[in-house]
Amino acid sequence: MPSVRTAADLADLRTETLAAQKAKPVWITVCTGTGCCAYGAEGLADGFESEIDKRGLGRQVGLRRTGCHGFCERGPLVVIEPKGICYLHAQAKDIPTIMDKTVLGDEVVTRLLYLDEETGKRVRTAAEIPFYKHQKRILLENNVLIEATSILDYIGVGGYSALAKALNQMTPDAVIQEVKRANLRGRGGAGFSAGVKWETTRNASGAPKYAIVNGDEGDPGAYMDRSLLEGNPHSVLEGLIIGAYAMGATEGFIYVRQEYPLARKHAQMAIDRAREYGFLGANILGSGFDFDVTIHRGAGAFVSGESSALVNAIEGHVGEPRPKYTHLSEKGLWGKPTCLNNVETWANVPFIVNRGADWFRSMGTANSKGTKIFSLVGKVKNSGLVEVPMGITLRDIIFKIGGGLPAGKKFKGVQTGGPSGGVLPEALLDLPVDFDELDKVGSMMGSGGMIVMDEDTCMVDMARYYVNFLAHESCGKCVPCREGLRQMLTILDRIAGGQGREGDIELLEELSEFMEMASLCALGKSAPNPVRSSIRYFRHEYEAHIREKRCPAGACSALIQYEIDQTKCSHPPCGACARACAVEAIQKIDTGAYWVLQEKCIKCGSCYTACPDKFHAVRKAPVAWPAWQFPSTPVRTEITV
Amino acid sequence: MIETITATAAEAFPLDVVVIDDEEMFGEGCRQTLEMGGYRSAVARDGLRGLDLVRAARPSVVLLDLKMPGMDGIEVLSRLSEAEPGIVPIVVTGHGTVDSAVESMKGGAFDFLTKPFEPEKLLESVRRGMSLSALRKAKESAKEKPVDAAPATVQDKHNLLLRGLDVLGEAYSLGLDKRELIDELSYLEAEAKYHAESLGHIKKKERAILDIRHDLQQADAIMEKYDFRKGALIQVLLDVQEKLRWLPRHILHWVGARLNVSAREIYTIANFYEAFSLEPRGRHCVQVCDGTACHVRGSSELLSRFSVMLGLEPGTTDSRQEFTLETVHCMGCCALAPVAQIDNQYYHDPSKKKLEKIIETFANEENIPCQA
Repeated sequence: MPSVRTAADLADLRTETLAAQKAKPVWITVCTGTGCCAYGAEGLADGFESEIDKRGLGRQVGLRRTGCHGFCERGPLVVIEPKGICYLHAQAKDIPTIMDKTVLGDEVVTRLLYLDEETGKRVRTAAEIPFYKHQKRILLENNVLIEATSILDYIGVGGYSALAKALNQMTPDAVIQEVKRANLRGRGGAGFSAGVKWETTRNASGAPKYAIVNGDEGDPGAYMDRSLLEGNPHSVLEGLIIGAYAMGATEGFIYVRQEYPLARKHAQMAIDRAREYGFLGANILGSGFDFDVTIHRGAGAFVSGESSALVNAIEGHVGEPRPKYTHLSEKGLWGKPTCLNNVETWANVPFIVNRGADWFRSMGTANSKGTKIFSLVGKVKNSGLVEVPMGITLRDIIFKIGGGLPAGKKFKGVQTGGPSGGVLPEALLDLPVDFDELDKVGSMMGSGGMIVMDEDTCMVDMARYYVNFLAHESCGKCVPCREGLRQMLTILDRIAGGQGREGDIELLEELSEFMEMASLCALGKSAPNPVRSSIRYFRHEYEAHIREKRCPAGACSALIQYEIDQTKCSHPPCGACARACAVEAIQKIDTGAYWVLQEKCIKCGSCYTACPDKFHAVRKAPVAWPAWQFPSTPVRTEITV
Repeated sequence: MIETITATAAEAFPLDVVVIDDEEMFGEGCRQTLEMGGYRSAVARDGLRGLDLVRAARPSVVLLDLKMPGMDGIEVLSRLSEAEPGIVPIVVTGHGTVDSAVESMKGGAFDFLTKPFEPEKLLESVRRGMSLSALRKAKESAKEKPVDAAPATVQDKHNLLLRGLDVLGEAYSLGLDKRELIDELSYLEAEAKYHAESLGHIKKKERAILDIRHDLQQADAIMEKYDFRKGALIQVLLDVQEKLRWLPRHILHWVGARLNVSAREIYTIANFYEAFSLEPRGRHCVQVCDGTACHVRGSSELLSRFSVMLGLEPGTTDSRQEFTLETVHCMGCCALAPVAQIDNQYYHDPSKKKLEKIIETFANEENIPCQA
């Protein structure tokens, strides 16, 4: 095992690695990120491996199982290097064809290439696919090029050279100044300057000092941290070591969600390899700097992603936030100075050290620099992870990269910032995405979840979803957050269930204001955002629920019922809906037509999806309410406990 | 047409409940309700066939109609209590008079339900019947025990005494109090009893004691890995959860005592974090993702489909600890939304037909540890 003692050793190792890689003229890259694995990518990679063995091509053809490429919607993804030919939805049965045509020959398998719907042409490489073309991939770029578990692959793409540069050519202060000048802001959501945090930790008295990677990605609908830890864990680790050097920390922790077993495994492997090669431990790269890292598994609690709660969790306590009279950088883990940054923030550090603050500042807007990874999901054609420069408009992300909405649906809103963020309507689509602009319109950057909603998404239901999530995740320590969320949930349940009253909207607004002022931590302070923003931009939907007992989007199950439109149903009826029904609520009547028995129906939507598109006979109709259910006079709502 | 299960088929599928009723639709309705409650059941159309089925399948509870052609309910009742004392009969009838109720109760019926009734009422009654039957059966087997078990010889007893002396000597050499040791041992014995009761399927005392001994030993091995550090509490509990699929009470107390953490603190932690379960979980874990991306693409509909197919409310486990159904906040495969995970397999929006197949495969599969 070669131990790397100096920067020269590292350079030699890199040259060797690259030479070894060059010896194989063709490399098959299979994405084995979680998304692609769910589509069977592991089996596909195994298939390639045995095919290479079978044909005795072990010396000419290499195989790499990489982390997430980002284009999860079209997985499993296969890229054949060096030509960069990108195949989507590749299946095991395609392996022999791919081997014959592309690996050994000089042809492409056209049907597996990306079809550009606008031009009607198929494109060969990833760079030509609109999804990738409009991105600026810096952090994610290496995900495609390296095997996550191989430290040599990482060194091959220039890994750990930033560490060598920082340790050998820069003082800790110089590193901090560089990061400060780059204006790297925390990618976890709050956007606090990383350099300033490091400086405070450095200047705080007390030893030892701790550096922590926050990988408790709790935002439902975001998975960029997972992809980085799974696909390129060394980049996060390298950033952490550089930061530790700059702030004088001697011990580090990587906090990984328990729900991400693969990320944990890869991060652990990265730590073990780095220790073997001498990037962790005593006297790193001969600089006299000592540092080591341990993994801490989370046990599933959204609030534990809050920095002081996370510190509590590492200490082995309940992950509740601490009051913020003293900063963690002064009194953190076990009362010692502690610096905590998000996975993505740490991953940016090696690039800043290597390429300089000026390069980093060349991307982005006045106060938000660099790139940001978003998880673009929901009702969008190309779901996946996208990395874009700060300042790009929402419209570009959703329509240029995401390809717009599927099945010709109309755009309604986009939620940024997860449960702490807000929903933005179509009128704000040209908003440049950066920390401050999103704050201004009542949302936030957050960790980078971006959930696209179409006309079938109900805003009341979404607000209820987030409030339900937060009410469940609130640690219960402070009253405004615990009780405020509970009351909000009661009201929203009522509205979505057709029992809303006049005055409910105002009451929600009042509660929001109060929670924002009085909650202890950011969870409670930002919890009303989804409710507030949806009222601000979609008030009419709330009113339709309350006054007309109608869900305009047809999503609130208490306000809709499934019906079969007999004029559209096929003749004779195909019966697909009845076969799909899980509770036998669709029955054939004497005339041969099918009918939905409302009292049996559990509104699972199976019939709706099962009805062939050419008929589209199953429809969501408003529930016919008896007249007495409508309150005739406005009722002032009382809070009920 | 509902077929009566023949005796041979019933042997292959031991049943929890046998329904004896001549009304076809009613019997089938009961069967479906029971299935949703997690009980295996079958229907017989008359008294004679019912008794055959009972003899073959040895259920715990029998649902019995009073008015039937041929052999009527009261007669079946009397034959039942003769043949199978462990079985709990529940009478269901459309003709609920005081007389018939009194007669049924005298005949040994445990409960008396008048048609029509709410499914919940039926399930509640069956649930109570099941536990009564378990009690009766345990008593029966206790009566039989002296015949089954080989009597302890004088030699056995003396060997045990010698081992006891070893332990006692060792305790004194470590400066331990005998009284204290005995107290702790009786406490652990009580824990074993509680454990057996809460699981419901452990019948023998020695089995329960060996069971918790095994658990505690595993917990020790895990704690050793973390050098018995107090700060590693969450990591220890995570490992235990992974091994046992839940955190039984004896484990919490044991770990607390060894790591010097108070019971209050350890319970707070076990309740606070989502990964821990204080109730036994199923062999297979069905997780329906309710992340935002899945939610907007219809995860609630998927969840209700799973719920109906498994007969389980979200967040519950069936009585035989086969399946646990629960929702999770984001699995990080949002591009596949709406998505569900069973053990370590992902499924993208399965239809009813596909679900049936999937559930069947898992139900027949060998034990795969369920990841919390």
